[in-house]
Amino acid sequence: MDARYDVIVVGGGHAGAEAAAASARAGVRTVLITPDLSRIGQMSCNPAIGGIAKGVVAREVDALGGVMGRATDASRIQFRMLNRSKGPAVWGPRAQCDRNLYPVAVRCVLDELESLDLFQEMVSDLVLEGGRVTGVRTRGGITFYGTAVVVTAGTFLRGRIYMGQEAGAGAGRAGEAPSIALAEGLESLGLEMARFKTGTPPRIDGRSVDFSRVERQDGDDQVIRFAAYTEEIIPAQRPCWVTWASDGLKKVVSDNLEKSALHGGEISGRGPRYCPSIEDKVVRFPNAPRHQVFLEPEGLHTTELYVNGLSTSLPADVQRDFLQTVPGLENVVMTKAGYAIEYDYFPPHQLRHSLELKEISGLFFAGQINGTTGYEEAAGQGVIAGINAALKAKGEDPLILRRDQAYIGVLIDDLVTRGVDEPYRLFTSRAEFRLLLRQDNAIRRLGLLARDVGLLTEKQALVLKDRLDQENKLTAWFHDTKLAPNDVDPLLVEAGSGPISGPVRAVELLRRPRVQAADLLSAGRSDSDIGNPQEGLRAGVLRAVEVELKYEGYVGRERERAARLEEQSKLLLDHDLPYLEFETLSYEAREKLARIRPETFAQAARVPGVSPADLQNLLLEVRRTRAREGRSL
Amino acid sequence: MDVDTIAAISTGPGVGAIAMVRVSGPEAGEVLLQLAPALDEIPAPRMARVIDVCEPDDGEVIDRAVATYYRKPESYTGEDVVELTCHGGVMAPRLVLSACLAAGARQAEAGEFTKRAYLRGKLDLIQAEAVSDLIDARSRAFHRAALRHMERGLSARITGLRESLVHLESLLVHHIDFPEEDEPPVALNVIAEEAKRVVQELDALLATAPEGELLREGALTVFAGRPNAGKSSVFNALLGEERAIVTEEPGTTRDALEETVQLSGFPFRLVDTAGLRESEGRVEQLGIEVALRYLKGADIVLFCIPAPEETSEEDRSFLEKITAPVVLLETKVDLTDGPERDTTELGGLAGAIRVSASSGQGLDQIRQLLPELAYSGLVGSLGDQPILTRQRHIRALKIARSEVELFRSSLKDGLPAEIASTHLRPAETALEEVLGVITVDDVLDVVFREFCVGK
Ligand SMILES: Cc1cc2nc3c(=O)[nH]c(=O)nc-3n(C[C@H](O)[C@H](O)[C@H](O)COP(=O)(O)OP(=O)(O)OC[C@H]3O[C@@H](n4cnc5c(N)ncnc54)[C@H](O)[C@@H]3O)c2cc1C
Ligand SMILES: Nc1nc2c(ncn2[C@@H]2O[C@H](COP(=O)(O)OP(=O)(O)OP(=O)(O)O)[C@@H](O)[C@H]2O)c(=O)[nH]1
Ligand SMILES: [Mg+2]
Repeated sequence: MDARYDVIVVGGGHAGAEAAAASARAGVRTVLITPDLSRIGQMSCNPAIGGIAKGVVAREVDALGGVMGRATDASRIQFRMLNRSKGPAVWGPRAQCDRNLYPVAVRCVLDELESLDLFQEMVSDLVLEGGRVTGVRTRGGITFYGTAVVVTAGTFLRGRIYMGQEAGAGAGRAGEAPSIALAEGLESLGLEMARFKTGTPPRIDGRSVDFSRVERQDGDDQVIRFAAYTEEIIPAQRPCWVTWASDGLKKVVSDNLEKSALHGGEISGRGPRYCPSIEDKVVRFPNAPRHQVFLEPEGLHTTELYVNGLSTSLPADVQRDFLQTVPGLENVVMTKAGYAIEYDYFPPHQLRHSLELKEISGLFFAGQINGTTGYEEAAGQGVIAGINAALKAKGEDPLILRRDQAYIGVLIDDLVTRGVDEPYRLFTSRAEFRLLLRQDNAIRRLGLLARDVGLLTEKQALVLKDRLDQENKLTAWFHDTKLAPNDVDPLLVEAGSGPISGPVRAVELLRRPRVQAADLLSAGRSDSDIGNPQEGLRAGVLRAVEVELKYEGYVGRERERAARLEEQSKLLLDHDLPYLEFETLSYEAREKLARIRPETFAQAARVPGVSPADLQNLLLEVRRTRAREGRSL
Repeated sequence: MDVDTIAAISTGPGVGAIAMVRVSGPEAGEVLLQLAPALDEIPAPRMARVIDVCEPDDGEVIDRAVATYYRKPESYTGEDVVELTCHGGVMAPRLVLSACLAAGARQAEAGEFTKRAYLRGKLDLIQAEAVSDLIDARSRAFHRAALRHMERGLSARITGLRESLVHLESLLVHHIDFPEEDEPPVALNVIAEEAKRVVQELDALLATAPEGELLREGALTVFAGRPNAGKSSVFNALLGEERAIVTEEPGTTRDALEETVQLSGFPFRLVDTAGLRESEGRVEQLGIEVALRYLKGADIVLFCIPAPEETSEEDRSFLEKITAPVVLLETKVDLTDGPERDTTELGGLAGAIRVSASSGQGLDQIRQLLPELAYSGLVGSLGDQPILTRQRHIRALKIARSEVELFRSSLKDGLPAEIASTHLRPAETALEEVLGVITVDDVLDVVFREFCVGK
């Protein structure tokens, strides 16, 4: 039963689901092949989407017509806007999801796509013809032919699970088989591979928790949606709980350290510094008096709780012992033990910004296999790999997001340019233009781009247009409307700001600290010519305009800096520059550049190990090379 | 990739016993072998060898020289370097250089050796500039300031400031990116305090700028006063040579004369001008106009009134127009035993000195007072702390200062941390540009344009 498609997506995790959706949206025949169709969009670890920076990525994925935002809204059982005490530019939406509902929601969204087929099988090999990929073979011997292949095998490639000191058992995730043939097949193509590790905490039975000894944490009342184009039905909401582990736990962990797979030397791969195991925390911060532990519901219809903060690879009995030192968990019943997993990834300098491999035409990688960690990071790459695979099949230029356009752009550029030496996770600090990359303006940043490459349905495109129109109109209102002292003095004083002596433009008042856009709008209502511009506004419009206007000066500065950088990045570096012969560059720089082969000068500037002097020399070398070839710079 | 080999005469023109021709680049050793057929291999690094320099084509001996070979990267430029110390004068260095060129080297461009040193990371941009300053230095004080830069005094300071900014950024990052960590984030007011410290450090550096800049050019010190007051005589006495014509005829000096001198090690541009009076003579009048123009731009004015003569109305009205600090010189004190002049009517003077060009009385007082007036901040502390002497540095540090101050005040005003933080990167960038860490092409061009060939 051989079959022919334009794009083949291998793997149905967060990267795979988005890649398949993006490709199918763009109108090319797409198939997603994964060993278990009921687990598409499965959450391997914590059933939560978003957070600081990551939440913005989830909104970017949504703005690009992706699956994640809708699936999150349809399965969320608690929502909180993180960093709310800070400025809106760094707000991070985060949702706790129902572990079972999420994949169902993903599947629902995928089922809407006509040009997408699903097929349940393990892919065991790629089919290649003269340096380009032409299809995949499954374990059962079926060949799928395609113009482009997107591999998103997550933590499955030669995955090994560790708990305590038992020799690691092969697995892609608890209870699922690892992907060994595919890993070997990819390795035989001459691709560079390395190992990373990550871990997950134990789960417990909520009925055994003494809730009088832990702190309840409810979600936000206000409904803020991830999905901008479609309103999903949001399930009932649930609380989370907070408690603090202290000396008792520290003692159990340190007494048993040598039994840990992570610390006993069983695992050689590097783990994320940002999401350390409890073993790591105890060893690295011996003086911290206590560690925060969140108890998070796994779903609406289960009493199981996820113990956030206690990821571990200690033996199960030690896990139970240390859990029982935590206030509220004295009599806890553990339902699943935590474990660590070690897996293959492909150092991402082997990729182009389109996520296509430099050396193998038509082959794209997305997600954890590129050295990242996190659902959102995987999803963001999935969209880009999926759309670019489709564009490749159509013979069109790839879609590449810039660093000042999206966190996804930052993520991919970091991967490709800098490489990774530990599992890569996004932070706002990775972006040099974080004021531009906000959760409230994802639509404005990416909506039109998405529409133009065919990532939006007609209906979504209409919603987009309406939303942008509303924002523009509202922005104009703030710029054009003068408000009279009578109308606004009370609210200004309320905000701790001084009254005004004559009419002042609304935008100027908005820039005052603590003055709210909504209040100014209501105050301006008496202005009969304009009517009430707030009526019928879509959710998020007011917020987006408010943030943009309030911080216009700063945002403008960021934009200027971005433009300058863009200018610099225009100097293109040829793919075949003989870096190793550039004697004026340090040896390290020559090697790094030869390895990464940056596409622009700006990218070269971000390669670690390339000094300023090297850059200067690079410029001169390129000039010389070009002068010799009679070209201008 | 071909980096070529360059050569130039590195010692100044003019007659001297010896001169030096420098060759730098991958072929430097080869060039040496061609010039010195007696050598059968490139000499050991850093060992001086006496050679007969021969014309590469016909083997004719041009000069006898000392050749020293430096192997990369342990050389000034970071490349292979050969230094040929030959006989001085007009002919020998030129012949040696043209022999180097005949052996395949290319004539170096202005500043090219130092530029190569910078590009190979042997020097940072400030050090590269300091090299040119050391060569140009005309005063002990400026030389010392340049030497401090050469020794990375300023670079270390700016690097330290940049690190402080990076540290500030990391505190903010912790604040923004880890809201739920166990460790509470660093309080914003602690961050603001730290920023304040950086601003203060930048202020301290910037405070050296006005005098630092004077150090480069010399403080403009203008003689003024009625004709025949003895201006040119004191001017000559300070210079130690008969630079200006002196006669008993009033109106001797016409055009302004400018000379650079060091007084107690500090540089001054002394200007002798035409005596100030209402005059019909066209040439004299033009001279007076020139004098007035100098007075406008002066850092210090030395106003001369002969001790035996009364203060005149004209003196007073000229003095009123002068904005720079004025030192009254009572000249020709050898001609009178009269008491000191009552100077209250002359307005606020920066000092009054009784001098005699004939006896030399008062000259030491001038030499002492002028540095104290023009360089009050540097006298005594020179050499302890780096001094800003260049517009390029001053401009960048001012940008950095204003950005860090904005950062601090935004935090204080309760603006969100991520908004405040937009001021940090521009500040860092400004500092990085001074060091040449990120090199804007134009900056480099400007920097290296200042060099003359051979450095
Ligand atoms: C134990 C564990 C702990 C984790 N802890 C954290 C954490 O603390 N923080 C965090 O941010 N992230 C964590 N993660 C990571 C998070 O789960 C991943 O980042 C995210 O799921 C990656 O998405 P992906 O699409 O790249 O891969 P995955 O979600 O792993 O999906 C891979 C998909 O590929 C399929 N597949 C594999 N091989 C083949 C094949 N040969 N043929 C066909 N299909 C194949 C799989 O069946 C699966 O559907 C953890 C993951 C695990 C397993
Ligand atoms: N005895 C004595 N004579 C002096 C002294 N200084 C200057 N003279 C004489 O005063 C006359 C004028 O001196 P200058 O130095 O030419 O005076 P000036 O102010 O430059 O004059 P103009 O250039 O004409 O404006 C000359 O004859 C000098 O010899 C001094 O200290 N003692
Ligand atoms: Mg004179």
